[in-house]
Amino acid sequence: MTRLRPHISLLLLLLILALLPFLVGLLDGQSPASMLAGEAGRSKFIQGLMIEIFILAIYAVSYDLILGVAGILSFGHAMFFAVGAYATGILLKSAGWSLGPTLIAVVGLGLAQAILFGVVLARVSGITFALVTLGLAYVFDILIKTRELGEYTGGDVGLQGIPRPDFLNPSDERLRFYYLMLVFAALVYLLYRRFVDSPTGRVCIAARENEERARMLGFNTILFKFVALTMASISAALAGMAYALFQPIVSPEVAGLGFTVEGLLMVLMGGIGALSGPMLGAALFKFMDFYFNKWFGESASFMVGAIYVLIVLFLPYGLVGTWRMRRRDMLAGWEELLERWRKMMG
Amino acid sequence: MSIILETRNLRKEFGALVAVDDVSIRVEKGSFHAIIGPNGAGKTTLFNLLSGNLPPTRGHIFYKEQDITRLPAHRMAHIGIGRSFQITNIFPNLTVFENVRLAAQAVGKDNFRLLSPASRFRRYEERAWEVIRQVGLDERAFMLARTLPHGDQRKLELGMLLAPDPELLLLDEPTAGMAAEQVPELMSLIRRVRETGDKTIMLVEHNMNVVMQASDVITVMHQGAVLAEGTPAEIAANEIVQKAYLGGLYT
Repeated sequence: MTRLRPHISLLLLLLILALLPFLVGLLDGQSPASMLAGEAGRSKFIQGLMIEIFILAIYAVSYDLILGVAGILSFGHAMFFAVGAYATGILLKSAGWSLGPTLIAVVGLGLAQAILFGVVLARVSGITFALVTLGLAYVFDILIKTRELGEYTGGDVGLQGIPRPDFLNPSDERLRFYYLMLVFAALVYLLYRRFVDSPTGRVCIAARENEERARMLGFNTILFKFVALTMASISAALAGMAYALFQPIVSPEVAGLGFTVEGLLMVLMGGIGALSGPMLGAALFKFMDFYFNKWFGESASFMVGAIYVLIVLFLPYGLVGTWRMRRRDMLAGWEELLERWRKMMG
Repeated sequence: MSIILETRNLRKEFGALVAVDDVSIRVEKGSFHAIIGPNGAGKTTLFNLLSGNLPPTRGHIFYKEQDITRLPAHRMAHIGIGRSFQITNIFPNLTVFENVRLAAQAVGKDNFRLLSPASRFRRYEERAWEVIRQVGLDERAFMLARTLPHGDQRKLELGMLLAPDPELLLLDEPTAGMAAEQVPELMSLIRRVRETGDKTIMLVEHNMNVVMQASDVITVMHQGAVLAEGTPAEIAANEIVQKAYLGGLYT
């Protein structure tokens, strides 16, 4: 049991998320049989929203791995995601591949783009690297929108009507898709957490803190950064694949700078380098995006912007980052308060 | 006695400035070899060349008869060369323990164990504790490095240098900025390290007391070039050195 204790909150969260579709259904008076049959209702709607959150959470945490853990400033993260999404759409639709080979191809492409970025990283770093990644992502953005490739990518309109295997069709088999994405997100999180605590991850953190010193200690820092880059690139590409399967439309927006900035906001809101933080940031982002539009209509983006500014101003390390730093102070504060109460009670 | 490190006509130019001017020195294995000279004499640049931080403009560096002139900085620790820095160079937001543990891990073979917790690799932790005790930081092991007082940061710097157990130690002003009463403690520590581990030490230092007491050989640099070399007694008696060094200090 002692081994389980540090994971209690994670297990609790997973349990709640696993039961969530049924809890929502029960509150809504829907029978479990109807839910399992995938009938329309609030439960199915919430599942859809949560699936998008899981996908965005993987996108955000993969951004955090290179940005917050390895300290690599990159503005090309939307491309990591879009490559997976577009590859999935094109291979399933135009090339007529089945899901298995497509999955392998997406992992391969994830590796390939990590190598591309790694080659750049070996030559330039810091803000120069950030600008090169911005350029690379922009080239990709233009490429998928060109008319010449429109036959495959759908140009400005996007890739539509991606065929999906029946067993993963999110409209009929949404609950299955929900659990698949939940497991996927949980696995990525656990894998990352293990990585961050591994000898390799510790060197990534050291290189973020003081790269010259890490090199002088004997670490070829570029190799360690490349490992982080590869993990992030492959997981973002897989998140893109899930997105293409779920929607089943791939809009060119996922390749744009706007989507990179959204990823950055998720990371900053949740807490850079905190892993669980950016995943929470992704959830917050999606909820705000959806409910604010519903409640406030056109002024929603103003509200969302205001919340970003407030978070950055008052919680500079993000939600989870600031929580971790303040927890000890807060516990001490609570104890003091309790002590005062005890005295008052006599 | 064998030569562990040798430079041949080593030269470094920064534009028109010749920072290291055809320096040829030989360091005997097991010796305590000090490099002295006024500010701007090229001592730290020489160290940067030796540790691979800067590529030389010309000339060669040999370590155990191997040409290491073009070896990248991150290889140096692996062949047994360690270096400390004049300006404290640590990982400020990591603990003292993690700073030293990383230094021990660097020369091991487990750097690419992606999915095992670092704490599973006991030998690096044990080595880190050994060194932390040796430099006297065991009570501060879990403090963040940046919160240490300056003198302790210098000890940490030394600990990170010692953790991989290098054969050749390049010490760049280890006592820089230390309170005077802490200097003897640090120097006796360095002397112990050398005696117990059969190490070779190269030292850049401004504190003449330290240099005169500890060194076997002193090389005097002036404006990038070697001005004189000899035992502490020879150097102290050398008139040219007296003139150049004092002149450098007071102009």
